[in-house]
Amino acid sequence: MIRIAAVGDVHMGRDVVGRFRPALERLPEHADVLLLAGDLTRHGTEDEARCVAEEFGDLAVPVVAVLGNHDYHSDQVPEVTRVLEDAGITVLEASSTVLTCGGVRLGVAGAKGFGGGFAGRCASAFGEPEMKAFIRTTAEVADKLGAQLRGLDCDVLVALTHYAPVPDTLAGEPLEIYPFLGSYLLGQAIDSAPTDLAVHGHAHAGCERGTTPCGVRVRNVAHPVIKQAYSVFQLAGEERRAA
Amino acid sequence: MSGPQDEYVEAAVQRLLAEHPNLGEQGLVVVRHERDLILRGEVESRQRRDEIERLVAEHFPGVRVRCDIGVVRSQPPSEAEELS
Repeated sequence: MIRIAAVGDVHMGRDVVGRFRPALERLPEHADVLLLAGDLTRHGTEDEARCVAEEFGDLAVPVVAVLGNHDYHSDQVPEVTRVLEDAGITVLEASSTVLTCGGVRLGVAGAKGFGGGFAGRCASAFGEPEMKAFIRTTAEVADKLGAQLRGLDCDVLVALTHYAPVPDTLAGEPLEIYPFLGSYLLGQAIDSAPTDLAVHGHAHAGCERGTTPCGVRVRNVAHPVIKQAYSVFQLAGEERRAA
Repeated sequence: MSGPQDEYVEAAVQRLLAEHPNLGEQGLVVVRHERDLILRGEVESRQRRDEIERLVAEHFPGVRVRCDIGVVRSQPPSEAEELS
């Protein structure tokens, strides 16, 4: 069994430092690993990344993150990533990692993802260059995420994104903005592998639970949705895979 | 908030919340109700809520704003979700 803690959209700045730390100090009682589902900062500055490092670094469990759209705002992604990595936080972007926790090999494939919408109501790579670039960005990252998921050798497989892979966890958001909140292409990538759990953030007014068309459990862990420092998910490891 | 221009004010407030360099708030809801503009949602600190209230009042002096924004709780979870 493995216990996975997750939260997204913590939007750290100097004014938020210390708010999560009391709960994080108790994290090892609750979880074996912490996943951060993007929008770790407010404006994506190096200084805000230092606040993330201060709050989420030096924990007693491994921390794995993806960035979100806010973390891209100041065009300082390399600097933000470096600050987080220097604090021991693994930052994924179309990449993956395998951690061994209590004898269970946890594989996490992560990417920020992007928008485009969901089946029957999605944008297409057609028309203006800007529109084609929008959808191609999503298609490329979804292809890479799927390849990472399919390539992992592990007991429990988790997909970590910022944007949503299904519309289920957006319920509560205005329908008109769904195309800016996620894409079915991410869900299709998740369904192309034996994924056990998909975790995302981004949709502050969404809801916690959903599933992909192939039945993978999806959880929206945006902080305003879960209304606690992090959520914890327990999954069976080797026993279930062997069954 | 009852004139023909109100929809534009609503849009302008929404963009101010997202685009002002001191804010960057995309997760808040702006609702027009009778003569008021209501701001709803949750932010990460009281300072942010106060700054939102101050900046909206400063940029839209003729608009009556009701700020119904909370601060997200950050306590540890009381239980785990079993997914096996």
